[in-house]
Formats: sequence, structure tokens, C-alpha cells
Amino acid sequence: MANVAKKVSWSGRDPRDDEDERAGETTPLLNGTGPGSAGGARQFTPSSFLRPGQLSNVDLNEDIRELETELPRPYPNEIPHNEKLLSLKYESLDYDNSENQLFLEEERRINHAAFRTVEIKRWVICAMIGILTGLVACFIDIVVENLAGLKYRVVKDNIDKFTEKGGLSFSLLLWATLNASVVMVGSVIVAFIEPVAAGSGIPQIKCYLNGVKIPHVVRLKTLVIKVCGVILSVVGGLAVGKEGPMIHSGAVIAAGISQGRSTSLKRDFKIFEYFRRDTEKRDFVSAGAAAGVSAAFGAPVGGVLFSLEEGASFWNQFLTWRIFFASMISTFTLNSVLSVYHGNAWDLSSPGLINFGRFDSEKMGYTIQEIPIFIFMGVVGGILGALFNALNYWLTMFRIRYIHRPCLQVIEAMLVAAVTAAVGFVMIYCSRDCQPIQGSSVAYPLQLFCADGEYNSMATAFFNTPEKSVVNLFHDPPGSYNPMTLGMFTLMYFFLACWTYGLTVSAGVFIPSLLIGAAWGRLFGISLSYLSKGSIWADPGKYALMGAAAQLGGIVRMTLSLTVIMMEATGNVTYGFPIMLVLMTAKIVGDYFVEGLYDMHIQLQSVPFLHWEAPVTSHSLTAREVMSTPVTCLRRIERVGTVVDILSDTSSNHNGFPVVESNPNTTQVAGLRGLILRSQLIVLLKHKVFVERANLNLVQRRLKLKDFRDAYPRFPPIQSIHVSQDERECMIDLSEFMNPSPYTVPREASLPRVFKLFRALGLRHLVVVNNHNEVVGMVTRKDLARYRLGKEGLEELSLAQT
Amino acid sequence: MAPLCRQLLLLFALALALGPAAGLDALGEAEELAAVMAAELRAAGLPGDLPELEPECRRLLTAFAEGSATLSGCLARRARPVRLCQACGGLYRSLLTQYGDIARAVGNSSESHNCAKSILTSDRLQVVVTLSSFFNDTWEAANCANCIKNNSEGLSNSTQEFMDLFNKSLACFEHNLQGQAMDLSPNNYTEVCKNCNGTYKKLNDLYNKLQRLNRHGDESGHSAHLCIDVEDAMNITRKLWSRTFNCSVPCSDTVPVIAVSSFILFLPVVFYLSSFLHSKQKKRILILPKRIQSNASLVNIQEKYS
Repeated sequence: MANVAKKVSWSGRDPRDDEDERAGETTPLLNGTGPGSAGGARQFTPSSFLRPGQLSNVDLNEDIRELETELPRPYPNEIPHNEKLLSLKYESLDYDNSENQLFLEEERRINHAAFRTVEIKRWVICAMIGILTGLVACFIDIVVENLAGLKYRVVKDNIDKFTEKGGLSFSLLLWATLNASVVMVGSVIVAFIEPVAAGSGIPQIKCYLNGVKIPHVVRLKTLVIKVCGVILSVVGGLAVGKEGPMIHSGAVIAAGISQGRSTSLKRDFKIFEYFRRDTEKRDFVSAGAAAGVSAAFGAPVGGVLFSLEEGASFWNQFLTWRIFFASMISTFTLNSVLSVYHGNAWDLSSPGLINFGRFDSEKMGYTIQEIPIFIFMGVVGGILGALFNALNYWLTMFRIRYIHRPCLQVIEAMLVAAVTAAVGFVMIYCSRDCQPIQGSSVAYPLQLFCADGEYNSMATAFFNTPEKSVVNLFHDPPGSYNPMTLGMFTLMYFFLACWTYGLTVSAGVFIPSLLIGAAWGRLFGISLSYLSKGSIWADPGKYALMGAAAQLGGIVRMTLSLTVIMMEATGNVTYGFPIMLVLMTAKIVGDYFVEGLYDMHIQLQSVPFLHWEAPVTSHSLTAREVMSTPVTCLRRIERVGTVVDILSDTSSNHNGFPVVESNPNTTQVAGLRGLILRSQLIVLLKHKVFVERANLNLVQRRLKLKDFRDAYPRFPPIQSIHVSQDERECMIDLSEFMNPSPYTVPREASLPRVFKLFRALGLRHLVVVNNHNEVVGMVTRKDLARYRLGKEGLEELSLAQT
Repeated sequence: MAPLCRQLLLLFALALALGPAAGLDALGEAEELAAVMAAELRAAGLPGDLPELEPECRRLLTAFAEGSATLSGCLARRARPVRLCQACGGLYRSLLTQYGDIARAVGNSSESHNCAKSILTSDRLQVVVTLSSFFNDTWEAANCANCIKNNSEGLSNSTQEFMDLFNKSLACFEHNLQGQAMDLSPNNYTEVCKNCNGTYKKLNDLYNKLQRLNRHGDESGHSAHLCIDVEDAMNITRKLWSRTFNCSVPCSDTVPVIAVSSFILFLPVVFYLSSFLHSKQKKRILILPKRIQSNASLVNIQEKYS
């Protein structure tokens, strides 16, 4: 108990602080004397041992409430949603392989050649992931292009008509109504059919790769809703992009293909059965995410690095190579299909959904003098990104608290769409920035009040899909926009994009960020050339690119992968250095204020997300304080009735149960023998693998690993399994199904140590044992994720039902 | 016998080369110089295959020189207002044939090298190639192919129609402006606007139609330019119409637009306020984890680092 004592001496409390004094008074037993003797004794009385309902995370139990009498608040307690919560609905993935008897048998049975086939199958799956992801990207691109083209043509004709005759307010209404109705459809399908398809999907995939099972996140239904939703929201003219959702789509495709079946369609193709477990699936999902990035930006290496950056805890070189293969296939597929679609087959020059266009080294080269300017732009990007995130934080909090009904969410999305159209229209209406139409590549030139043969420059920015606007900002010749237009556009689009992110539509934040950044970057470039009397700062397109990088970096705070993505999207390696500097600066400056947008949303969703390291100041916490206790254990040969009762206890949702030596005398604490999962127990109950039946030769065949895989990933709930009264008295032998060597830690292990083990091995359950190998507690993801470094040092999140 | 033969041949070539040169005053001197140089070289007893063109090639080169001179003159003269395609089409085509002749022609000498080689590729500068590619590029950029009939002289039908209409509207402008001058109010162009509106509209519509057709004809959809003559004619007319005459005054209905947009902008405010006031705030049910310690001990951790 040395470290506990030390902790008290370190605490350095201010005696004048009343709050602190009170807190100190309430905890002498726990911090002072140490719970090793007193607490331990109380925990391991036979009465609380092996009792269903005493489950580690959930407390609805009288015993425990007595323990906590010093707390004045009654539990359960209702509080408004805040960011310091962990939701109970998220489970961990089982990345750790259960090395039970069945597994060993299977390994013995499969010979060496069969394992080679498995390896080939992995490559085949990766190729298929790449191809399908590329095709989905093509589909989105082509449909968006056509539908958006149709919409803009209709609105443009209408505006042209009413410009002559008067009555432009009708055009405004038409535009707003078109937008709102398209977005309504997109929002309805998301809100009512699959809410997990909302947003960019990157936070969800990040969580999945981190090891959190987000319900429904990799289902086929989600993919369909996601693809339709993103098409509708881009066509609906919201300030969104279609790139982020590609990552989610790629991940769903990967998860689907690697399983060889779809539970949404209720079809099982009887292939790839070997891969039906979390370990394999997650590897493929990281390949799918990489393929998605690669299709979205034409950045295969960026895609691989994205997977590396977001889900790198389980990584090896073969996996990397396979992921790279999937990325390359994906961008190649997109490339070839789009080249055929655009009529120049096999040209292979449009590698991504967004193509930044060609940046010539000669025209847009940079010199060493410009580096400080780029860094300054990084600072600006960091500040603006932090502002964006802070505003979006408040908005999201409001949305979670008040706008949680699907109808309200749909109405909100429609309103945003209408307002986006109205703002765009008013900006175009008020703008007097006219540019000659000749020689420019404007897709839908709006004349409005300009002279004949000229177009409204504001309209190129607002009256276009965001992707096209970004490319225009990068590449339009100097003088295409006047500074006033750019300034107003940046301001308006900043707020629109901030308002839009977090709506119940599926849409990404990459393109809006790039667009905001490109607008102010170009403005910056123009003012530079104005200040320096136009000497060396010739091309504002270069500054638009750096501004875009700075803004995106300031919002999402990705580093390595974003640098490479931007580099690959511009196709110019020499920009690597300035882009890296800009992103670095933006991240440093941004992190000083608030965290990145994706992390923020993960936190607001109360996901138990494990970061790379435990909080730095947490060494004084030990496994004893972290773990949940008492633990519901099972005996090695357990009564079926007990198992059913434990599993069907509604107040708990435990998934792992330590298996202890079956001692007929239950008053004695027994040693740890293994760990068994809820899913395994359910399969056992379903197949009625009872000792008595085996003795009577009622069991036709022995259970194989395949039976467990077939049930994956949606194991039936315990309620659907019927166990008769007679069967309840049977016994069940867990010894050949349990994992005989679960990872354990002693009570004295520090939090960072436990954390490292947990994170690096991707564990789901970590058993805490005492010196006699007796179970004293259980550490799960939620126990670790609740410690976080906040503004005032280490803070603890509360568990909540959401 | 052989050297004499070669001497004769060279003399013949020289005479041929000098022949047309005598007709051109400007070129005369230079040609003379070349002839002098050739004579000097010959006198110095240099071998017979000295860098002198065969007579056939010389003829071709001279033809090209003349052609390019006329074409560049035409281009420059027709630069403003742009009438390149109409005026210089024939010249360009003949220059193309001349260049083609050079590229194809084989000299009548028995030796392996031909005119193409000696004229086009035997020096670093390659003036003929540069000139030819300049004309080609200019022609491409002007997009003249768009308004000239395929492989024949004259404008295509639609372009002809457009040009007629263009001349008509210019005439209309002129006619009405003369009328205006008597009114002593030079800034008031209402007459023009009223009288020429029909022609201008027709011209504008035709132009838009041409543009649309052109864009549809073009598979890839990019760089769908009409030929420069048409574009420039339209530009001039539009500038006159909207800038000088100030005829296209669109109805600006600011009040309804402001009303409608502020209505739309007002909707979210109502929405958020009402959902704030009427929607029940979502509450989370806190669940106390089972741990050895109470939450209170964590306060210590927090305070410790604050």
C-alpha cells in the first residue's frame, strides 16, 4: 500500500479549501488505511460472490448503495447530457483471440496448405474491397454531378428569366425549396432509418478501429443510407462534401465482403467463414477505410497512413502492404471508370473524387522567403479551426439536449438547407463583382445584374458544388475574385459549414474546411501581392492551397495522413514541406484552445475511446481503484440455471465472466481458471451442451469453432433461448470453451501499466487477481476510458445510460 | 566531266534562286548577299555539296516565305475588330499546303536528303517549323475551324447567319444614334434601346444557341469556344448595349428579395427558440460504477493537479 500512502502525501491540498476538506473527510478509509484488508474482506464474502446481478458496471444493488452512503445524492440520478459521460451502449470488440480447446483442435486439423489459402483469400478480399469502394465512389460522383447539374440549370434558367422581368424573390423561393426538399429526403432516411449514418462517419470509424463496437456502424443498410444520404445532401446544396463519407463507405464494404454474407439481406454466401471474428474483421475494416480515403482524394498512400494514424495499435507490415494494395486498387478503379465515363477511356488522370488540379512547379513554385508566411497562415488556420470547433461544440451540445427527436432533426436540416440557399442568393444579389465570361471555365455562369457577357463572381463560389468551388479558388487566374467577394464568402461559409456539421444528414467536413481555407488563403495572397506591389507573390492559388491546408488542419487536427493526402491530391511533392509546416502549426495552435472536431464529437457521443497513452498524471492510480468489483464469476462446471439467470439479468450487460475452480464449497474463494464470453455462453446454451446430455449420448456431435463463427456478429439475445425447468438443473462444463489463459494484472499495477497492456493487446476484459490468483476485480474499457486529462488535471467521467 | 557537271548544276540552281528574288524588292538585298556568299565559297574551292538548297527546295521555301508574310499581314490587319477567320482563312489554308509541300517534297537530286530535311531540320533554329507552328497555334486558339465550312472556303451557315444579324444590329445602332444626335441629349439612348431591342435579342439568342450546340457537339464538354470572330462580335455588341447604351437595366426587386430572405433567415431562430422552450431536455441516467473507492476520492486527484 505504499503508493496509496504516497498519493496522500503528494496531494498537497490547500487547507483553506473547504471543498477539499470535505472531500478529504469522506475518504479516510479508502485513501488512508488502504482497502487491501478492510475493503477486500468485505468484497469477498461468500454472499456477494457468485451472485447474479452483482455485475461490474451496473449498480442497482442494495449492497453497493450501502457502501456509498457517504454520497448524499441518490442513484440513479438524472443529469443533462454533457461531455463528461461514458455511454453504456458501446461495447468493446474482442480483438484478443480465445485460445480454447476448440481453437487448438481446429489449428491441428487445418494443415499448412490451408493456411496458405487463407492468406490468398485475404488478398482477394482486399482487391474486392478496393474495386467495390472505387465503384461506390464513382456512383456517388456521377449521380451528384448529374443531379446537381440539373438543379443548378433549373435555378439558373429561372434566375435568368426573372432577372429580365422582375420577381427574383420567386427564384430565391425556388432555390430554397429545391434545396430544402432534397435535403429533407436525405435527412429523413438518415433520421428514421439509420441514425448512425449521420455525419462524416470518420469519428465512428475511428472508434471502430480503436476497438469500440458502435452499433450498426458496419451494416449494409448503413452503407445504402450513407451513399444516398451523401448524394442528397450535396445535391441539396448544403455546405458539405462527399469525401468523409467515402471512408465510412469503404469500411462498411470491407466489413461486408470479409464476412462473405450480409445479415441485412439475410444472405450467406458461405465464403470467407474463417474471417468471422472481430480480429480479422477489424483488419479488413482498416483496409476499407484506407480504400475510402484513397478513392476520395486519389491518395493511396494517404489512405494507408490514415488507417495507420487512426487505428494503428494492431499493425504489422503484411497488413500494411495489404492495405496499400486495397488503396491502390480503389483509386485505380475510380480512375478507370471515371475515364470511361468522361469519354477518354484509360486516360487515368482523375484519381480522386476531389482533384485539386495540376499545380505547376514553375508557375506556382515557392521560395524560402515564403515559408514564414506559410507558417503564419498555419497559425491563422489553427485559430479559425479552434473557433469552428468551439462553435460546433456548443451547437452539438444543444442538439443533443434539445433536438433529439427525429422530426425535429429533419426540420432542422431543412431549415439549414433553405438558409444556405437564401444566404447564397443574397450574397450573389448584393455582389457587384462582375467578371468577363470569356476564357473562364465557370460551369453555371449567373449573369444577374452584370452586363451581358459577364458573370457574377460571387456565384462561382456559392452557385456550385463545393468541390468545384475549391478547384476554382485554387486555379482561377489572378483577378478572378475581388477581395470583398472573398471576404464575405469566407465569413458566410464559415458559419454555414459550422452550422451544418452535426446535422442529421450524412456529409463530410473536409470539403467545406478546404473551401473556407481556400477562400481566405486566396484573399491573403491577393492582399500580399497588393502590399508588395505585385512583385514576387504572383499566384494567389498557392496561398489558397496553403490556406485550405491550414483550415482543414485546424479543424480536424490530423497530421501525417493529412499532409500526405494534400500532397497526393495536388500531385506535387515539393509542396510537402510547406504543407507539413502549415499543418503542424495549425495543430499546435489549435490544440492550445480546443481539441479536434472528430475527437470532440467522439467525446460528445460518450464513447469509451482509448487514446494512445494513459493520462500522464495517473501513475498513482492502481488497478485496485480502477477496476470494477465485485465480479460475477462462473464456476468451471456451472448449473445452467445460474448461467441463464446471470445472462438474463436486465440490469447488466456483461460480456466476460471469469471462470473459477468449481469448488463444491462455495464459501471459499477459488482461483482463476479462465475467461468465457457471453457470446460463447449463448451458443453453448443454444446447442444445449450440458453434461447430462453428453452422458446420455444425446449430443449428436461435438461443438466446433464454426458454430461460434456462424452466430457472429449478431448473437441472439438470451431471451430468445428457451431453457426448460428440467434443463435448468443440468450442469454445463465450460472448461473446453473458456479461454484458459486470460490476461491478468495484480492489484498494485498502475493505471498506465494496465492501460498499455489493454491498449496494445486490444483487450476487452482484464482480470485483476490477488496473490493467490483469486479474482478481485475486472478492468474493462469503460474503467480505463473514464480517466481523462481535463483542464484542471485528471478527471473522471461518469457512466450513463443513453 | 563530273566537276563541270556539278558546276553547271550549281549555276543553274543559283539562277533559279535569284530569279524570284529579283522580283521582290525587300528580299533582293539579302538574296544577293547569299548569292555572293555562295559564289565566294565556290571560288574558295569548297567541295560541291556545300550547304546550298536545291532549286526545287528553294522554290518551295520562297513560296512559304511569301505565304507567311501575307498571312501575318492579314492577321495583324484583322486583329481589331477581330475578323481573322473570315479574312485570312484562304491564306492560312494555302500556307498549310505550302508547308505540306515542303514536308513532303523530295528533291530531284539522287542523293538521300530531300527538301524536308534540308529546310526543316538541318539547323537549331528551324525557323520554318517555328513559323508554321505559330500560325497553327494561333488558328487553334482562334478556334476558326468552328465557323468555317469543312474543307471549303467561306463561313458556315450558322456563322453567316450570325454575321448578317450582327451587321443588321450594328446598322440599327448607327441609324438610331444618328437620330439621337439631333435630340441634343447624348446620354439618352432610350431610342436605341427601344428600336434595336428586337435585333439585339435575336442576336443574343442566336449566340446562345450556337454556344449550346457547340457545347453539345463537344464530347468532353470543356473549352467549348465559338470561333473568335463570333465571340468578339458578340462581345462588342454586348458592351455597346449594356455599357455604352446602358440598355439592359434589370428589374431589381430588392424589397421582395429582402422580405423573403429575412423570412427564411428568421425561421431557424423560431425553430431553435421553440425547441429550446418546448422540447423536453434529454436527461441521462447516471449509473454508479461498483468500485472499492467512492467518487469522492477522485476529487483529490483533481485537486492535486489543479
